[in-house]
Amino acid sequence: MAVSSRRAGGVVGSVRLLRSLQHQDGRLFSTSVARHTAGSEGQPPKFVPPSKPVIIDKAKSQASLRQFLSPEFIPPRQRTNPVKFAMERKDMIQRRKILNIPEFYVGSVLEVTMLDPHAASKTNRFVGICIQRSGKGLGATFTLRNIVDGQGVEICYELYSPRMKHIEVLKLEKRLDDNLFYLRDALPEYSTFDFDMKPVHLSPTQDVPVNQIKVRMKPRPWSKRWERPKFNVQGIRFDQCLTPEQMEHAQKWAEPWRQYDMLKEYDTSSVEEKILQEVQAELNK
Amino acid sequence: NSSDILLTVILLSLLLDGSCYCIFMCESRKSSIPAVQCVRTIKTSTWWDEHLTEDNANVMRRAVAEEYKQLTVDRLNPLKDEPWPRHEWDEKSRRVGLVAVKLGMMPVWTKSGERHVVTMLQVQDCHVIKHIPKEEYNGRTAALIIGAKNSPPFYRTEESLEMFRNAGVPPKQKVTTFHVTDNAVIKPGTPLYAAHFRPGQYVDVTAKTIGKGFQGVMKRWGFSGQPASHGQTKTHRRPGSLGPGGDPAKVFKGKKMPGKMGNVFDTAFGLKVWRVNTKANILYINGSVPGHRNCLVKVRDTILPHRLEKNRNPPFPTFFADGDEELPEDLYDENMFQFGEPIPG
Repeated sequence: MAVSSRRAGGVVGSVRLLRSLQHQDGRLFSTSVARHTAGSEGQPPKFVPPSKPVIIDKAKSQASLRQFLSPEFIPPRQRTNPVKFAMERKDMIQRRKILNIPEFYVGSVLEVTMLDPHAASKTNRFVGICIQRSGKGLGATFTLRNIVDGQGVEICYELYSPRMKHIEVLKLEKRLDDNLFYLRDALPEYSTFDFDMKPVHLSPTQDVPVNQIKVRMKPRPWSKRWERPKFNVQGIRFDQCLTPEQMEHAQKWAEPWRQYDMLKEYDTSSVEEKILQEVQAELNK
Repeated sequence: NSSDILLTVILLSLLLDGSCYCIFMCESRKSSIPAVQCVRTIKTSTWWDEHLTEDNANVMRRAVAEEYKQLTVDRLNPLKDEPWPRHEWDEKSRRVGLVAVKLGMMPVWTKSGERHVVTMLQVQDCHVIKHIPKEEYNGRTAALIIGAKNSPPFYRTEESLEMFRNAGVPPKQKVTTFHVTDNAVIKPGTPLYAAHFRPGQYVDVTAKTIGKGFQGVMKRWGFSGQPASHGQTKTHRRPGSLGPGGDPAKVFKGKKMPGKMGNVFDTAFGLKVWRVNTKANILYINGSVPGHRNCLVKVRDTILPHRLEKNRNPPFPTFFADGDEELPEDLYDENMFQFGEPIPG
């Protein structure tokens, strides 16, 4: 804005400035409106540096922060004594007090630093997209994939290993599937991430965005027949790589009775709530 | 011919599982009835809640549970309760073991970052039930009978409940015997805790393996079978030859053949104890242990000669909770990574 217009429409200009400073999620930066002291008539107004903004986060109350319970806390459906899971949870919480393990999903881009006694700088840094989260309890793992110098690399890290030094989420998002093994047969552009990528900030109140991307594949044969219903892949552009006849042929391996299998039903909602409260209480102590 | 048949003896015998059989001894010269006739499972006994209403049965269960709690509490102070004399540990002494419940497995890391797996064994209500002196047992070593995991008295006979009553402990699910030297005897009724074992020592674990049923020779004994194709007629998983030919002209005893696999006692030797949780009485033992989850296993100090140096100066004859020692909640092996440690560098 030109200095003259600022001088002319003093209050109006400040209101416009205020409006531009206000964010969509309702945070209010309360700055002092009359920043420009009305100096003597002939002279330009004396510049008074703005006071430090006081951020009143009305939107960011405790209730609206998104609740996330890491999937390795949820015990599998087994005939195991709950004492065993309780002991493991205590160890996991103790570790989380030392090392911050952030919220992430399959499809998020992470940066991981491990301690490596044989490296020159004693650390080992890797950036990649999370293609899998598996394991329960202390043995929980996640796999990061990236393409380095034209070579695809997947590294499986243990969340609670003592060699983990730092985990950071560079881009937090979800994908249409809960594992992205098909990226091995997709075009390399979908698995390449810059090692010096800047973190993309996501507000803690917003829902995690679901990336609706449908990936284009290399020509067949693939490492697995991703079109078959048992993999239930939503994130591939099948119309570009398979004919409708091939898609129909793949449906021969459909097992439509599996959705009615009662032994596979495992409703974790009540268990999750209890464990989430317990974990949050322990971490906040 | 009823006059000829003399009913001499009628034996009514009550077996442990409540079934009974009658033996009629008949003496007759010309009868064709066999001398002994067995009629099995004429059940004349009832089960404990057959004639009770549901409310009464629940009252009984609750009363029994409270009684057990009381019994356990009464036994919590063995050192103040006319204890038997405590001796010092020496090289030749063998102390008692424990019976624990297998909870599950989890990973454990050393300080240098190597990963090992451990089995968690929880010691639930372990008590010494009886002491058998050397002369009565086998002439060489004394024995201590240990019981673990309280179980209801409802389907047990009075004879089996008698030994628990004498010791003043609730009836137990598993009862085993441990060989023990004379300086390691403990008074019956003493509770045993997980702190009996310390991190860094080595133990042997015995349990019944998971039953696999009737299995073929490839799974049971690891035979390699025959090829899948290239002309094999109906022979892919068979044992093949049973031994040499005409000279022995027989199959030797003990030949490995198909049969029932598993559900037998097996011992894993030389397992290291990584961690002991004194509050929940859990032992973290290296590697895997025979048995399924929630099965009862027998844990004792190892007998492997090369590991005996790691088992020196244990709590002898056992760890007494009401003694002077105040143990922290978790005892760790010196090499083990503890999760509260800060990140180096």
